[in-house]
Amino acid sequence: MQEIVRAEGLRKTFTLSKKQQRIEKTGETRKIAVDGLSFSAYRGEIYGLLGPNGAGKTTTLRMLSTLIRPDAGDAVIAGHSVVKEPDKVRDKIGFMTSELKLEKFFTPDYLFDFFGAMHGVPKEKLAARKRELFSRFGIDRFRGVRVGDLSTGMLQKVSLVVAIVHDPAVVIFDEPTNGLDVLTAKVVTDFLLELKAMGKSILLSTHIFSLVEKLCDRVGVIIDGRLIAEGTLQELCGEMQLEDKFFEIYRAVKGEIV
Amino acid sequence: MKLIALMKKEFHRFFHDPRLIVTMLLPGILLYVIYSIMGTAMYAEKEPQAYKVYVGGSSAAVSVIETAIAATGDTVEWLPLEDEEAARAEVERGEAAAVLLFSENFDEFPQDSSVRIVYNGAEEKSSNFYAIAGAALESYGMRFSVIPESVKSDEEIGRTLFAGFLPFLIVTLIFSTCMGVTIESVAGEKERGTLSTILATSAPRFQIALGKVIPLSCIASIGAASSFLGVALSMPKLMGVSLGAFGGYPVWSYLLIFLLILSLVPLIVASITTVSTLSRSVKEASAYTSVIMILFMLLSIVSAFVPTMGDWVVCIPILNAVGAMGSLFAGQIPVWQSLVSVGLNFVYSALLVLLMTKFLSSERVMFGK
Repeated sequence: MQEIVRAEGLRKTFTLSKKQQRIEKTGETRKIAVDGLSFSAYRGEIYGLLGPNGAGKTTTLRMLSTLIRPDAGDAVIAGHSVVKEPDKVRDKIGFMTSELKLEKFFTPDYLFDFFGAMHGVPKEKLAARKRELFSRFGIDRFRGVRVGDLSTGMLQKVSLVVAIVHDPAVVIFDEPTNGLDVLTAKVVTDFLLELKAMGKSILLSTHIFSLVEKLCDRVGVIIDGRLIAEGTLQELCGEMQLEDKFFEIYRAVKGEIV
Repeated sequence: MKLIALMKKEFHRFFHDPRLIVTMLLPGILLYVIYSIMGTAMYAEKEPQAYKVYVGGSSAAVSVIETAIAATGDTVEWLPLEDEEAARAEVERGEAAAVLLFSENFDEFPQDSSVRIVYNGAEEKSSNFYAIAGAALESYGMRFSVIPESVKSDEEIGRTLFAGFLPFLIVTLIFSTCMGVTIESVAGEKERGTLSTILATSAPRFQIALGKVIPLSCIASIGAASSFLGVALSMPKLMGVSLGAFGGYPVWSYLLIFLLILSLVPLIVASITTVSTLSRSVKEASAYTSVIMILFMLLSIVSAFVPTMGDWVVCIPILNAVGAMGSLFAGQIPVWQSLVSVGLNFVYSALLVLLMTKFLSSERVMFGK
């Protein structure tokens, strides 16, 4: 298997404000969000980072997508370092998160062309890709409708398509089904399986066990910013359910659940 | 290619939204209408006036003044001064035009002969009487002094201040024009999360900054041009001259004013985009921008009160352009001051773009909670 993502000793700390210190009930001024995280993902697989809220999943994905810079460590994605070559990494990945939005004023047609230009996709290639993706995801009929007037499901499809306008080798998806209704969530999970069928590598974060069981080829369990366990579902769980195994791991690390 | 796409996006956003276009052109139109109305009112055909004037002492000069007033089509009613305080109060209330106080044996012109004219500078009628009486007394004889005494501030002061306010008004209008489109385009995009989507692409941060400042400056320039036209077209009416006479102003003056306005636009846009990038929301950006607006307004009004400042003024953004515009409005042509101001304002704008690039590259600014 060809390694497409390799994270080595990723570390990220944040400064806590007085208010955050009160909420976290700590006198510490810095919080370690990710603490020496290392893992690898391979070409054509869906790799899931599973962990509770605040475990460091989103911070890890933000570092991999070069939105934030690691304090220590590095990650290599499709041959490029997130620390040394962030621009090249951005052209190799498609990052999807609820944090990134599309301007409601524009149409899918316009946004596809705009983000294609942002990634430097040649016009002919962009036109062909638009035909292919709009047709495959049923966006054709809505290509001239302003994003603000689209249904939630169609908006999600447009966001997904725009994120992969440049045909990235790796798709990074933070909490893919969070806050979505069942229909839109299905659009997303089907889309990820479709991407996998197209040979893309997918890295996702989630705290939903069923999503991991349905989609992921391999999973890494992350607690308090550290990778505690990793492997295929079979390797990780054996005969146990993923949920039971996760809480077993969690108790071993943290003691009590609450 | 990425910069062009970023710029086209801003233009597309603006030119496909009629509301934005209207708000951009409105200041210039309003300026033209307001100035025209003010000018028309100030220089409208006046009705014949009947002046009521109290006279203390006696002099044949009174009949000279009366002749001068009659020549303008006005009339005057002379009343003997019995109670000076009461008469002054009437002048202050605008009920009487003036009080004339001749010194003893005025017509014999002793060494210390004088005539005191108490008038109200804030009242048009009283000011008119003072102007006519003053001119008439000057033709009457040379060996006495005329002591004008206005019970209120001199109208001349008001006019000087008003002329000083023109550049201030222009800066304020440009700022308002820039503010409308800029805050929404930067802080609005940041708040909605759409700027982060662009940052997740491989577009260089410097191009993203330029891709905001250049098109927004072009768009705001339309508003600035509208304001400039509003001022230029309404000036003849405001100053009470015919359009033909106003056309006699050197073309250089217009050209330099236009260049100064053009240099102010990117400076103001870059200032607002920079603080908008720093802000977490439109609300926060509006608060920061208000502070900048006050600062810029202070800088643009300083020259109205301090007319003689040194050459160092050209180094101060806003103040340099306002100072140069003030001189141009006064009929001078400060070429080097204007051109250096224009050049420096573009340099300051470029520095602000670099600062914005730094902010766009900062994860604490762009993604900090």
